[in-house]
Amino acid sequence: MKIKKEPDLEEKLKILSDAAKYDVACTSSGVDRKGEKGSLGNSRACGICHSFAADGRCISLLKVLLTNHCIYDCKYCINRRSNQRIRTSFTPEELCTITIEFYKRNYIEGLFLSSGVIKNPTYTMELMYRTLFLLRTRYHFRGYIHAKAVPGAAPEIIQEIGYLADRMSVNMELPTRESLQLLAPGKSHQAILRPMGQIRQQIQDYRLSIGKTASMERHFGNQYLAGNIFSSSGEKSRLAEAFTGTLPGGSRGASEAAVTGPAPSPVPIGGKAPSPKDSHRPFAPAGQSTQMIIGATPENDYQLLKVTQALYQQYDLKRVFFSAYIPLNEDRDLPALDTAPPLLREHRLYQADWLLRYYGFQADDLLSPSRPDFNIFLDPKCDWALRHLELFPIEISTASYQELLKVPGIGNKSAWRILQARRCGRLDFSSLKTMGVVLKRAQYFITCHGKMRYHIPVEEDFITRQLTQNEKSSLWELEHPRTYRQLSLFDDHFLEAAPTVEDSRKILTGQL
Amino acid sequence: MVVFTCHDDFESMMTCIYDAWAARLGHSNIKLRVEPIEEPELFCEYRHIHPDPEKYRKVIRSIRSKISENAYQDVYRASMHWNPDKLDIIYRFLVLGFAMGPRVTRMLGEPYVAALFDLDRKVTNESHQFREFIRFSRLNDQALFSLIEPKCNILTLVAPHFADRMPSENWLIADKKRRIALIHPSDKNYFLTPVTPQELAHMEEARKGDTYSSLWKAFFQAVGVEARANYRCQRNFLPLWYRKDMTEFSR
Ligand code: SF4
Repeated sequence: MKIKKEPDLEEKLKILSDAAKYDVACTSSGVDRKGEKGSLGNSRACGICHSFAADGRCISLLKVLLTNHCIYDCKYCINRRSNQRIRTSFTPEELCTITIEFYKRNYIEGLFLSSGVIKNPTYTMELMYRTLFLLRTRYHFRGYIHAKAVPGAAPEIIQEIGYLADRMSVNMELPTRESLQLLAPGKSHQAILRPMGQIRQQIQDYRLSIGKTASMERHFGNQYLAGNIFSSSGEKSRLAEAFTGTLPGGSRGASEAAVTGPAPSPVPIGGKAPSPKDSHRPFAPAGQSTQMIIGATPENDYQLLKVTQALYQQYDLKRVFFSAYIPLNEDRDLPALDTAPPLLREHRLYQADWLLRYYGFQADDLLSPSRPDFNIFLDPKCDWALRHLELFPIEISTASYQELLKVPGIGNKSAWRILQARRCGRLDFSSLKTMGVVLKRAQYFITCHGKMRYHIPVEEDFITRQLTQNEKSSLWELEHPRTYRQLSLFDDHFLEAAPTVEDSRKILTGQL
Repeated sequence: MVVFTCHDDFESMMTCIYDAWAARLGHSNIKLRVEPIEEPELFCEYRHIHPDPEKYRKVIRSIRSKISENAYQDVYRASMHWNPDKLDIIYRFLVLGFAMGPRVTRMLGEPYVAALFDLDRKVTNESHQFREFIRFSRLNDQALFSLIEPKCNILTLVAPHFADRMPSENWLIADKKRRIALIHPSDKNYFLTPVTPQELAHMEEARKGDTYSSLWKAFFQAVGVEARANYRCQRNFLPLWYRKDMTEFSR
């Protein structure tokens, strides 16, 4: 049955925000911009959360689709062409008004604009461009804008949007070419990587033009971590290898060349060359992000993490997000409709992502082709430590920052505090506690002036038993979020210091 | 015991500190309290102190020059706490501060320094949360207004943020409990002013008429993913107490 009546604004908003909600990245972080007389809005690098939805996730931006019309038929997507749904679109004016009025009421920090593909990718992005252009020029909006780039759109229109948006993202969707072919027949890795490469290049050009480093800023601790994924000496994962190299029996045939090709090489911008003035306008100053769907396809954690690392290294992404697959459509290529979203797996991947970005780990430290998935019962760092008991115990009074970070129960902040404190005085176990070290876990891995806290055998089975007991109850909660509190990145025994309110917000927005 | 009392505003408190100090009764023989005094004690003498701009300025100047700018800001924030003991804590902190100079702010082993920082932290956290959770309403094209009921007096602490965010809008934030409002006329500086219960009641009624609130609620409902529903987690981040003036949780 066709519904003739054009939905009113509220109905449109319901439809188009409902259709956008599966996109996970809703942060407003990464750029500081002061307000200005005559304009509306500012932006805080730490990000601001305005509310929390029923699923416990932070609401920071008005996350909507411009339209849910789509010419593609991605099998996992609620908006796929073959689904019978009410289709509608916002006009640019409608979207501007809602953004502005929401912003003034302090509901949101800005707009997260995504879209189904209407007519073709370039046309779709032109509509998005018109909205953002109006918002920035006619409505003088200085708040945060996150814009999706549609693979396959002309480079010119991606460029124009980059000058209006704070952050851009192209969704990776699925980590291997095979999966993408299977579930998103209209898309290809090549088409996804091309805009990603272009955006990376233009961010870099802009950064250099204002005297910054070519690459995005990373957590300051990384400079003390030899071999971290961002350092040039760190081992670089080739994206092409990450895509195929570890698939069981994955062929590395001729098609691979297509993926290696478009990587970060500068994309020639056809048509109008950017004017010199353009190069000084901020281009996506909050950087670029992406997201991958977890659990719709057979990839293992090792493949996912390799791709993640390669994306950070080759595309200088600010964040990679993971989204536990939620079955919305029935299809023989998809998990059954009653499949529970793999929240624990998603959680482990975020923990590992943290280890890559803040702790100096590489994907290959954590997993390998022969051990391709994370331990259900232990967080990735504990798991790693237990497999490397030969490196422990670590002497707290002399260990380097990097060594301290490898200890389960010691996080960035507590490691930093230890370094400061031991300059001024003698450390003991109780002072470690006040510095935020979680002794319950750290005690198996450290000595303080030559002594362990208790007389404990440094023995894998014993420690594993101790540590998993701590974690079991929390894991059950994670898998049963309706009845029990879902673990978030900081009460997962991973970030050790009890975070302040401010910290927890930052973690949510990925800024810690 | 002599108890110096004053109204719960910054100028009065600073004047009160000045007079308590100048009375030279010995620090251990006096107490400072903001009004109202709930249960006067029998053997105390109460002296109400009126605000005096001259004394107020002198106290501020001394804190800034003899201790530090940081200490001044800490004291300012601590003075916005709801706890009536705050004035006495500030006084004792300053006694120590005038003797020790700038390093007093690092002397966390001192009970009054630690107590001051506790006050400060609570006020800072609350103003942070209100920066996020304040909701404005608006009728037609009139000024934006917000009604809040914070535990601490955070109006002047959130003001710079909103002034930067909406410099060219007319807006106001009213504290229902303290009956004061922060008024920001478009393109001008903001200021504080008392509000009457009638005005508050009027705004309370008027915010039901904002047409965008139903759009916002529609969005808020739509954006949560049912398959991940997690009310416990939501409640951790957004305690029920904050929700009473938030549009998306209102009926
Ligand atoms: S392109 Fe694919 S994922 Fe995007 S809206 Fe269309 S069907 Fe959904």
